[in-house]
Amino acid sequence: MNSTIILETRSLNKRFGGVVAANNIDFAVRSGEFRCMIGPNGAGKSTLFAMLCGIQRADSGQIFIFGHDVTRMQAFRRVRLGVGLTFQTNRVFHELSVQENLTIPQASANLANNEAGLERLKFALDAFGIDPNDETKAVELTHNRLQWLEIAMVLAGYPTLILLDEPAAGMSSDETSKTATVLKHLNSTGLTIVVVEHDMAFVREVAQTVTILHQGQIFAEGSLTEITSNDEVRKIYLGKA
Amino acid sequence: MNTFAELICGGADIGRGRIFWISVGIVILLFLFYPTQTSAFRVANVAYYLLNIPLGLGMALLWGYCGVLSFGHVAYFGIAGYLYGIIAGNMSGNSLGPIAGVLGGLMASGLVAGIFGYFVFYARVQKWIIPILTLVLTLLLETFLGQTAGYQWRVGTVLLGGYNGMTGIPWFQIGNLVFDGYSFYYLCLGVVLACYFGLRMLVNSRFGQVVIAIREDELRTELLGYDVRARQWVVFVLSAMLAGLSGLLYVQWGNYITPSQVGLLQAALPVIWTAVGGTTSLLAVVISTYALNWITYTLSSQGNQYAMVIIGALLVVTMLFFPRGIIVMLAEYIGRLMPRRRALKRA
Repeated sequence: MNSTIILETRSLNKRFGGVVAANNIDFAVRSGEFRCMIGPNGAGKSTLFAMLCGIQRADSGQIFIFGHDVTRMQAFRRVRLGVGLTFQTNRVFHELSVQENLTIPQASANLANNEAGLERLKFALDAFGIDPNDETKAVELTHNRLQWLEIAMVLAGYPTLILLDEPAAGMSSDETSKTATVLKHLNSTGLTIVVVEHDMAFVREVAQTVTILHQGQIFAEGSLTEITSNDEVRKIYLGKA
Repeated sequence: MNTFAELICGGADIGRGRIFWISVGIVILLFLFYPTQTSAFRVANVAYYLLNIPLGLGMALLWGYCGVLSFGHVAYFGIAGYLYGIIAGNMSGNSLGPIAGVLGGLMASGLVAGIFGYFVFYARVQKWIIPILTLVLTLLLETFLGQTAGYQWRVGTVLLGGYNGMTGIPWFQIGNLVFDGYSFYYLCLGVVLACYFGLRMLVNSRFGQVVIAIREDELRTELLGYDVRARQWVVFVLSAMLAGLSGLLYVQWGNYITPSQVGLLQAALPVIWTAVGGTTSLLAVVISTYALNWITYTLSSQGNQYAMVIIGALLVVTMLFFPRGIIVMLAEYIGRLMPRRRALKRA
């Protein structure tokens, strides 16, 4: 693959007391990729996401996004570079309407990407069945619609790279499949997507490259076939003897 | 860009529709004609209830809309009041003195809030600590002002006065027009209307929408690309200047100010006004600030020693039975009834 690296970490380290959450992580994602990150609980996936978007500061190492060294950059400035993030537990504005949830990100939208960004947003709203003028409070939505609303919120900022932390968590198989289909289409328009996910059915459906994290380290990386045929991976993650 | 109608009638405050605006118009007319129907003493009392409203509105903006509780906003009330007294007092005889006093008082309250807020928000102090820090600031100010008795504590010709306070503070004036008596009442009414409608437009603007988003979820808002700390800081300074505005009107109303105005009891009052009305509505806070000041004043003037106990009990009742505020919950109830009435009419 010849496309440019748009997200890169170099020797990234993070400890919480005696727990090593990130241990010399060297990680790179190219423009247009759909990357899945998997690993057992406590492997450091969410911590890595938190460091990538600026919620957590790395103890050492460097993070580059679109070629900028963002290691010490505030979270909101990283977002303005064109990064979007959803959380493991969805964090839409529950007391605000669907419409407000979608208009708030637009004021800070990455205008350099507005044409493609707007198309992606329209597609996602349509595919998820979200009315952008809906005045229903978000708190009244079902779980899957909240998850979809959060993805739409992130797309409303016209990002070029999105980091999704378990976007299909708690969804039925149909909803998971729909989420995967929408994300695959968004990826086909050039949107780079990095996903942390436990649901292997989802991963199978979307992943081009899979990264396995284990004990704060990159344990393996490759196509899903390569990963699932790796005995060590089967042992630590898939639970096979 | 929002239109004027969207800014005024947006959903960030209670009250929309023709009946609401007609009612608002009638209330404004009643206030405009009130001085023609009553005594100067009563007009001065109503001016007192009105002058506290900007302080209540500032608290609603900061606490209700931005989610940051300040328990010491009266510090800015006091700073502006004392500064006005010092500047206008030293420029006594000069018609520009009161204007300089107003500008100096507002700038001082904004500056102190700006410095204090910078350290609070940019150090990412946890939200539950902010009420304690703000309370400490106002209590320190009260303690300092309380020990300024004596001739050595003067600025120019103006004595700070210790616990007896600063007296002889001049009325506000523009040129030869001195705002005392009835004209002071109209000044207070004008300031209240400007603050209310100005803030109503602010909370319905894009800026206001982001401020509400910050209240709902700071991290989510930051991860949508907003500098949360800068917006919290701006709201903090603005709300402090609103408190300062009340302080300026207060010193012109009574021509004096004492350190007790920045003490613990006074610090609690704007929190009570806001909580009783409902923190998430500017209109509710306008009504509750006016009503609670009227109740306090009426009880106190009739020799009732328990005015503050009654106000405190009202706060407890509100917290227990009307957690979102009496007026806000009443408005919600009416809002639920309206569609039913319309549906019945259609049937």
